[in-house]
Amino acid sequence: MSLDMVHDIQIAYRQLVDAMSRPGYLADITEEAGKLNPEPSMLPATQILARMLLDTEVSFGVVSEREAEAVHLLNQLTYANETTLEAADFIFVLSDATPEQLLQVLKSAKIGELQDPHRSATIIIETPSLTGGSKLQLSGPGIRTVAEAEIQLNEAWIDIRGERNAEFPLGLDLIFTDSANRLLALPRTAQVAKEEIR
Amino acid sequence: MRIQYNFAFLDEGSKREIRRATLKAIAIPGYQVPFASRELPIGRGWGTGGLQLTLSLIGKSDVLKVIDQGSDESVNAVSIKKLIDKTTGVPATDATEAATLIQSRHRIPEVPLRTGQLLVLQVPMPEPLRMYEPSELETKRLHGEKDYSGAWLMLFEQIMKYRSVSTGADHPVMVNDRYVMAPSPIPKFDNPKMNYSEALILLGAGREKKIYAVPPYTQVVSLAFEDVPFEPESFPGHSCRQCGAEDVFMDELYDSEKEETYYQCNDTSYCLQRMNAQPLV
Repeated sequence: MSLDMVHDIQIAYRQLVDAMSRPGYLADITEEAGKLNPEPSMLPATQILARMLLDTEVSFGVVSEREAEAVHLLNQLTYANETTLEAADFIFVLSDATPEQLLQVLKSAKIGELQDPHRSATIIIETPSLTGGSKLQLSGPGIRTVAEAEIQLNEAWIDIRGERNAEFPLGLDLIFTDSANRLLALPRTAQVAKEEIR
Repeated sequence: MRIQYNFAFLDEGSKREIRRATLKAIAIPGYQVPFASRELPIGRGWGTGGLQLTLSLIGKSDVLKVIDQGSDESVNAVSIKKLIDKTTGVPATDATEAATLIQSRHRIPEVPLRTGQLLVLQVPMPEPLRMYEPSELETKRLHGEKDYSGAWLMLFEQIMKYRSVSTGADHPVMVNDRYVMAPSPIPKFDNPKMNYSEALILLGAGREKKIYAVPPYTQVVSLAFEDVPFEPESFPGHSCRQCGAEDVFMDELYDSEKEETYYQCNDTSYCLQRMNAQPLV
């Protein structure tokens, strides 16, 4: 069965709405992602996000060893335009990107302006898994007291993200995906702290 | 000729744009994200912002509730319900607990919302600063600089003139300690329900082309002064004539034959539910 661009995308979108409004919530889009033809360049969950969010109105950038292949795929699927990482509305950091490349993206992506904070990048980051990583504590809007995340990723991104998001409402919104078709979102309001080792 | 509309009326491109705006709105609580409001078969200013949000969100497994000023059965609510039902086939309900998606005009239901529910509010005037600053460019700058002296001055002037804050509905709130936001014309009675709400609240203004949001568990404080605290409407000594409820938002009605005023729940489905639960006399 192939992906239904109306109903499957709607279900995935509602999962993303839940993830974005409740940081730490692990959204699962396995059923929808399972309907895609596997692409070597990107994870099914990432591809679902691209189909959900991209069109000719927005621009994107890709960071990957297979950049050309991924860009071609996204162009074909969505007709969105590729642009520089500084100007892109959506940036895809794929699983074969190096930790340094991720940091570079976080440093250079646009964070909006005070009068237009929504003109900021949404960064989609592929990870090996959204469970089993070192424990992070999350707080902020959408979280009753404290939430946890266990993203398997080199932790250097946390500080850079903190620096870029220091001047709220400016900032970056991150969406993490993994190979188990899960999503975890960290809007700019989410405070991330490494859990202290006692 | 019968036109076959797309599921949920809007084309997928329109939904995509509304969805992108919605996600940014959730990420920046209280900030009004501009969007390209679509033409709909109802007039702008009649709930098109809320409707576009609902149409971009709704799916086959949803249960929908539409309320207009507390009533499930008024013209606006029924028309919107019909449009959504005809283009999606999603069943509508009156029971607040059963609904997953609630579109409302000017009320937050009496039954507390929970995780798994989503409240969409229709907004006529999304800009809380518009009363004293007509320029959109200027209000954007004021929001950007968190310059809300005008918003405070507006309340202060009311106190000077009337000895108390004279806002009825749409009393401005501070969201997440950053943005002053118009909560849509809900009565002050409902303002506290936004504070640390369990459900996500999305607000849509179709005519003014803005979408904004209050995520769950987000601080929402009604603007007030230390010596003139925020006072929601209260109905001391009154109860609903039909169901006997107290401490709910009530309509004041006048019986011209008996020449007396009486009170009745504004939230009709809540009232009906309570009446049905009561034993027959």
